[in-house]
Amino acid sequence: MEKVCVLGAGSTKYGKLADSIADITTQASVSAIESAGIEPKDIKASYISNVFGVADKQVHIGPVLMSRLGIPDKPSLTIESACGSGSVSFREAYANIAAGFYDCLIATGVEKVTHTGTEWTTTYFAYCSDFFYEGQAGASFPGLFASMARAYLTEFDATEEDFAKVAVKNHDNGVLNPKAHMQKKITIEDVMNSPVVASPLKLYDCCPFSDGASSVILCSEDFAKANGGDYIEVIGSGRGGSPAALQGREHLTTIPSTKIASEQAYKMAGITAKDIDFAEVHDCFTIAEVVDTEDLGFFEKGKGVQAVREDRTKLNSDISINPSGGLKSKGHPIGATGIGQVVEVFDQLTGKAGERTVRDAKIGLTHNFGATGASCAVHIFQSV
Amino acid sequence: MSVEEQVKENAKQGKLLTHKCTNCGYLHLSTAYYCLKCGSKGFEDVFLDGTGTIATYTIITVAPAGFEKYTPYAFVVMLLDNVNLRISGFMANISTPADLPVGAKAKITGFDERGIIIERQ
Repeated sequence: MEKVCVLGAGSTKYGKLADSIADITTQASVSAIESAGIEPKDIKASYISNVFGVADKQVHIGPVLMSRLGIPDKPSLTIESACGSGSVSFREAYANIAAGFYDCLIATGVEKVTHTGTEWTTTYFAYCSDFFYEGQAGASFPGLFASMARAYLTEFDATEEDFAKVAVKNHDNGVLNPKAHMQKKITIEDVMNSPVVASPLKLYDCCPFSDGASSVILCSEDFAKANGGDYIEVIGSGRGGSPAALQGREHLTTIPSTKIASEQAYKMAGITAKDIDFAEVHDCFTIAEVVDTEDLGFFEKGKGVQAVREDRTKLNSDISINPSGGLKSKGHPIGATGIGQVVEVFDQLTGKAGERTVRDAKIGLTHNFGATGASCAVHIFQSV
Repeated sequence: MSVEEQVKENAKQGKLLTHKCTNCGYLHLSTAYYCLKCGSKGFEDVFLDGTGTIATYTIITVAPAGFEKYTPYAFVVMLLDNVNLRISGFMANISTPADLPVGAKAKITGFDERGIIIERQ
């Protein structure tokens, strides 16, 4: 297998954006190309992650992007894996470089949904569940994670205030990220007093619906060395699956796909969870971050809330979790999120993260899943 | 009749159709086409009476389209009695956690545009 590197990265701001899905896809891609110091003609193919293109009247975005980049003859593939689309697409791009099919690829993720309004966005997202059992019975995504949260509160020594503290921490980080959707400090009281969306989750336990696009350039090590600019190396890649509906999981507070994907990635990298300096994890809801940090092996099952209580996951503490602000504060344009996490790792490991820099970081991890973790991908990166 | 149609018709009678693997005996919801444990494709129908206890739930106040008129309502995950299987469903008239303690007894009572209907017993 060829070594795979990330050579450049770029994002639009996340939030409520006025430009079209095709425009923001192109903006992020151009930003990644310029960050890498390459020309579009160096790109041999594109991987596009997107879920609800139909909401902005543009599916099959790949050829539109390639046409705008002046390389309409180059192939593209659009990948949908719900909120995990970005990391799954990154994995496919990674595998194609590793296999030697291509020496340079672009992976761009995008979502444009905020114009549809909360009711329809909630409805579209519910289509990502096991619809016959969940969406059809009125389950929203906040509702499914709220069901996990209630199970966690029942099983372990945890409180709703503990979950609120995750939101406060991620907003603290997001304030330092100029691309973040919610650049606003909040308090535990703000979270506790925000309107209930699906009990026990309140509005500030939930990530926002966001528009946005993120893009990275992947290449072989030979290509990266010849290019001459900063790059980072992908040292681990794993994917896993879980029963699509929560009802089918052995434990209601464990996401099996995270465990499977991370164990594969750690094994490939020849490291353990203890070696990770910082992680961008899938905190679509505060409960998700707690569960993720346990399933990724950073903390024992049931102890994730204790780590939050003791500030062990804050920026530059034991392990910096979501230095970007995470989905909670940076925002969650679902097709872009998994790629956006790689953008953050690239910025962190190449000295471009500014005030939110994780000090002396050498190894970063990204964790991104679809739906309630029915599909998941984990990647591990190392500075060069 | 499709598998989903069979689930609906049985739920309307308060029953849950399940599939027992004829090779290893593992019990599944009837939408399983291959055994989770042994990979076998042979199943026999087992009709459960749809009773169980609440494993977890949420009370939804911001609803997907079509459910606004039912808010607040609960989406519940129920552990079925005497078997290692859970089933999800819609539960009406739940507005605070005091209305529905985890472990409360419940039963499948129907199927309509809100999917499988579960009621407290």
